[in-house]
Amino acid sequence: MSQPIIELRDVVKTYRQGHVEVPALRGLSLSVEPGELVALCGPSGSGKTTALNLIGALDRPTSGSVLVEGQDLATLGRTRLSNLRRDRIGFVFQAYNLIPVLTAYENAESVLALKGVEPSARRKRVMDLLSEVGLEGLEHRRPDHLSGGQQQRVAIARAIAADPAVVLADEPTANVDSETAEKLLTIMERLNTDRGVTFVFSTHDPRVMEHARRLIRLVDGRVETDETRS
Amino acid sequence: MKGPKLAKMAWRNMWRNRRRTLITLCGIVFGVLLAVLFTGLGDSTYSKMIDLAARLTGGHVSLQHVDALERGYSPKRSITRAPDRRRLALADPEVSHARVRITGHTMLAAGGNSRGAAFIAFDPADDGPATLSILEALKQGRSFSSSRERGIIVGHKLADHLGVRLGRKVVYTLTDKHGEIVTGLARVRGIVKSGADSVDAGICLLPIDTVREVMGYGADEATQVAVFVKDQRRSDRVATRLGARLARAARERETVPAAVPWFDRQPELAGFISMKVTSTLFFELIIAILVAAGIFNTLFVSVMERIREFGIMMAIGFSPGRLFRLVMWESLWIALVGIVLAALATAWPYHYLNTRGIDMSAMVSKGGAEIAGVGMTPIMYVEIYPGSAAIIVVAAVGATLLSGLYPAWRAGRVAPVESIRLV
Repeated sequence: MSQPIIELRDVVKTYRQGHVEVPALRGLSLSVEPGELVALCGPSGSGKTTALNLIGALDRPTSGSVLVEGQDLATLGRTRLSNLRRDRIGFVFQAYNLIPVLTAYENAESVLALKGVEPSARRKRVMDLLSEVGLEGLEHRRPDHLSGGQQQRVAIARAIAADPAVVLADEPTANVDSETAEKLLTIMERLNTDRGVTFVFSTHDPRVMEHARRLIRLVDGRVETDETRS
Repeated sequence: MKGPKLAKMAWRNMWRNRRRTLITLCGIVFGVLLAVLFTGLGDSTYSKMIDLAARLTGGHVSLQHVDALERGYSPKRSITRAPDRRRLALADPEVSHARVRITGHTMLAAGGNSRGAAFIAFDPADDGPATLSILEALKQGRSFSSSRERGIIVGHKLADHLGVRLGRKVVYTLTDKHGEIVTGLARVRGIVKSGADSVDAGICLLPIDTVREVMGYGADEATQVAVFVKDQRRSDRVATRLGARLARAARERETVPAAVPWFDRQPELAGFISMKVTSTLFFELIIAILVAAGIFNTLFVSVMERIREFGIMMAIGFSPGRLFRLVMWESLWIALVGIVLAALATAWPYHYLNTRGIDMSAMVSKGGAEIAGVGMTPIMYVEIYPGSAAIIVVAAVGATLLSGLYPAWRAGRVAPVESIRLV
């Protein structure tokens, strides 16, 4: 069996709101293998987004360990966490969150530029990806000249441009219509199948759950069910 | 360079809120405009005052007896080998002219009237209006035709006090180098009207060789060599250099002359200029602080509005240092665009005030103003030194970059999870 790409060991995360402590994760343990397409689902407050934040090195657990490719994130400083996000993790956000002053092409290219990929290689890679997500001819548009679905496709292209170990997608279909959502899911499913990109979604959306090959249901910050589909 | 082109991103960011950016740029333009005009007015006015003072008295640097400054005028405090000292001064590349003179005080008498005055004895073959500004104000008569002429040039008020006109005789009384009272007789060759009381009522000019003869000075003896420097700001350095050269060129048991810069000879003028320069700098500092506060406000608000965006950028791999540099690039763009616009906005007013000046005649007495004993024309021009202009540019860019430091630091300290608000 290969090494898990993501591993959470007895992770506790407690937020403090004034004098009140709000537990978000209460000893969450799970692991994700390379090439999986996993959906974290559950009711609001179940800890889905918190889990994604911890896996994406955007936040630190109160206790327990988060490992990405065997590396314990607690041992990394700000710069190394930044490098890890740049090199090994791709993000797709609910609100697209593209950089507004960059064109579609430049948004997707930015992560490659951060990695120091040569301009010619960047160009080929980005054009291929934009074509793959159906954005040919729209490379030079800025986000405010793209529809929500188009922006989310750019976000997907950006997330996978640097060949990350895992793409974390937080409610990726929440802000698009059902037709666009279906297209986005198809794109991500294809990327998972063809390129072997590991995806971890947090979602309420039954359509996303249908596409997932593994469904982890969280309740009160713990895994309630973990179901793998054939 | 590795990474996205931050300069390009910063340029685009700068124009995201055009109105705010334009207001900020206006602040820079206004600040630079004021700084250039005020500094240019000061540079021009003070430079003219110093040059005028140099032409009125002993040059930018005076080679004179070592005790003359401390102990005051005395015919005994003369320098020998004055032509040699003059040549030594002229050998300095920063020196434009050097003139041998005898200066002192005299009592003038004519037709029962008498007045005390300062005198400057000069060589008419050598000194002219370019180095002796009183000659510029010669309204009647002429300068001397020879250094041995029995003539005198007086200010018009002095002439009135003495009751003399052109061609009339004046007796001047001096103390010679042995301390004896001696007299000379001269006819009035010229009458000066400068507009400055200290000149018109208190100074007369005499031919140098005639004065040497009356005072018992040798042919190479004088009280000073007035040295004129191409750029008055270099007076101090030239004085130091000439002082060292005079010491090296001294003969055995010879009293070495001192090289005294204008500001040591005219401390009241130096004090006046220093006070004015300080007050201008203080005023400019206030303007700089106000402009910098405006820029800081713009950048800080711009960063705070984009906290979420910075969080996203950190999430996708931008390092804190890269975000810091991005905001600093935005500061730099604002500074550079501000400087270019300021240069364009300043060009016309500067050109106008440089060529036409500000006519202050309505605010000063007829004929001109007198500041610290120096007569000034009532038209003030703006002419900035290149160095002062460079300082303003560097200060504007520096203030803008400094204003960007804290917002840039804040951008780099964004906590991605809080700014993205995934929770």
